[in-house]
Amino acid sequence: MALKCEKSILSLPLAAILLLATAVLLYAAVGCDLNDPDRDVARLFPGSTGYKTNYVGIDQKGGPELLAKIEQRLGDKFHGLYETIDVPYTLYDVFKGKEKIGYIHGVNEKGQYGGIQVFVVLDLEGTIRAFYFQKLTSRYGKELRDSKFGEQFVGLSLKDFYAYDVASGKAAPSSEVNRIKNPVPEAEQDFRAALRGLKKNLILVDEFIFNNKHLQYFKPAGG
Amino acid sequence: MINIFQVAYKNLLRKKSRSGLTIIGIALAAWVLVSLLGFNRGYESALNKDIDNLGFQMLVTAKGCPYEAATLMLKGGTGLRYMKEEIADIVRKEPEVDEVTPMLMQATFDPNKGESGGYNAYLGVDPNTFPKMKSFLEFKQGKWFTEPEAYETVMGYEAAELEQREAGDMLLIPEKNVELKVVGVLKRTGTQDDGTIFLPLKAVQKIFGMKDELTGIGIKVKKEADINKFEEKMYKLPDVQVVSLSQVKQTIMTLVSTAKVMVFSIALIAILIAVVGVINTILMSVMERLQEIGILKSMGATAWDIFKLIWLETLILCVTGGIFGTALAIATAKATEVLIRQLLPYAPSGGLVQISFALVILTFGVVILIGLISGIYPSWRAGRIRPLEAIRSQVE
Repeated sequence: MALKCEKSILSLPLAAILLLATAVLLYAAVGCDLNDPDRDVARLFPGSTGYKTNYVGIDQKGGPELLAKIEQRLGDKFHGLYETIDVPYTLYDVFKGKEKIGYIHGVNEKGQYGGIQVFVVLDLEGTIRAFYFQKLTSRYGKELRDSKFGEQFVGLSLKDFYAYDVASGKAAPSSEVNRIKNPVPEAEQDFRAALRGLKKNLILVDEFIFNNKHLQYFKPAGG
Repeated sequence: MINIFQVAYKNLLRKKSRSGLTIIGIALAAWVLVSLLGFNRGYESALNKDIDNLGFQMLVTAKGCPYEAATLMLKGGTGLRYMKEEIADIVRKEPEVDEVTPMLMQATFDPNKGESGGYNAYLGVDPNTFPKMKSFLEFKQGKWFTEPEAYETVMGYEAAELEQREAGDMLLIPEKNVELKVVGVLKRTGTQDDGTIFLPLKAVQKIFGMKDELTGIGIKVKKEADINKFEEKMYKLPDVQVVSLSQVKQTIMTLVSTAKVMVFSIALIAILIAVVGVINTILMSVMERLQEIGILKSMGATAWDIFKLIWLETLILCVTGGIFGTALAIATAKATEVLIRQLLPYAPSGGLVQISFALVILTFGVVILIGLISGIYPSWRAGRIRPLEAIRSQVE
């Protein structure tokens, strides 16, 4: 009886410690969010009635090993001051009533003259329904944000983007990605940044949500 | 051998729901208390930090609403009107002045920011005086401008992060189609500087066609100077207004203190409710255990023994509630801050809710005091129970 009593006494400070640990998690920074999720989710995913926001990071999900795996799948290293292992990613689960109908996810990417925020709208299979630059500092922002440019990505998935080499900026000639046209040749740097951001975005979603469903299509360099 | 603490603890476990609800009541009171005291301390310190980090004690701007202008400057926004650069030379000649730094804030509309566009702000600063006044600013990468008129920029950390810029990169001013070279990225300061894009003053004047125009002059006054007298002197300058930052702080704190009185009243009510709840719980527990207490006394327990037992039960409730309440306050500090920022959009930057170790100790002190005070009456009643009467009353 006395032992049971002591266990109960111990449970109180343990519960308090758990609460304190939650406090530490809440202090983490937030990454690439939609500016106005209520409005943006409804606009990007017509027919949706609600969404749920989740925060996930490479450091929490798998640490340096996962980062190395993502870099391998991307075909490029994460670099610079801001593309780091501790970036928190914001994932929006999109619902129609109680039924989940898709996802929205955004990443930051370094453009020629400023930051680019690449958002992708996916169905439950990981196929792109819409592509959206939330922010794009570029001389050719108007052309790149034009709906015609974004429409080229609809229907593609990570399977198609494995054919795109982010380091060289080239896609396999027969691939779907190779058909994506840059509307302004002078904006090549931002065009390539957009494609790198999109491929990174799709790999992250595959890791975080789709349980690496598209990993089977990945062929390592030289493989 | 079971000790008095275990007896008290087991007594509380006999009525789990009642004890639990009382603990929740105390935890909520402790939560409110810690959050409010943390806000009180955090707000004042954030405001002081924001003002101190401006690097100057006085701001001269073109005529307009002084509070709006000061608030906009604190938030890194644009001033309302312009004044001539020669005013900076006039101010510089005053004997009370240690240093003067002229500034020009400009903004451009970027149609490719968000769904319906957004504004970018640029602060033109004098490379000779501004870095000296802001000597606490440290660089993550690079350094200040190479030339007074160079098309270069130094970015606050958050501005650089948003634009994904590093030293050596180029940054575009959208509306003007002008390219700037990023020569430095500042470390985080927790102030408005984190979101600021700094350019040389002359470059901003040239890019935006605002030759010889300023939106503000920061003045650092000599330590021995009488700021009030100097302020009076500045008021005599034509078409300018003087914003003494100590006054701004005073005004904001006066406004905030009105809200604080209301909030502290709510905290006091929460504490009183908790006290009444504790008294009620313990008193009911005593009344239900009259016979048991009577038996204890008939077996030799003194009035002081019974008093201690009941008092200990009260203390256990209060300390447990205090632990949960404090943990909850720390856990929800960030959420509380987000809520405050929604209610007070012009709140200073940096942590608005500061929960220190001393504050936690103070809260525990208050909670223990609540326990000690609210336990006195039920414990006294329990200690005064006559054994035979108590046993007989429940038998009947």
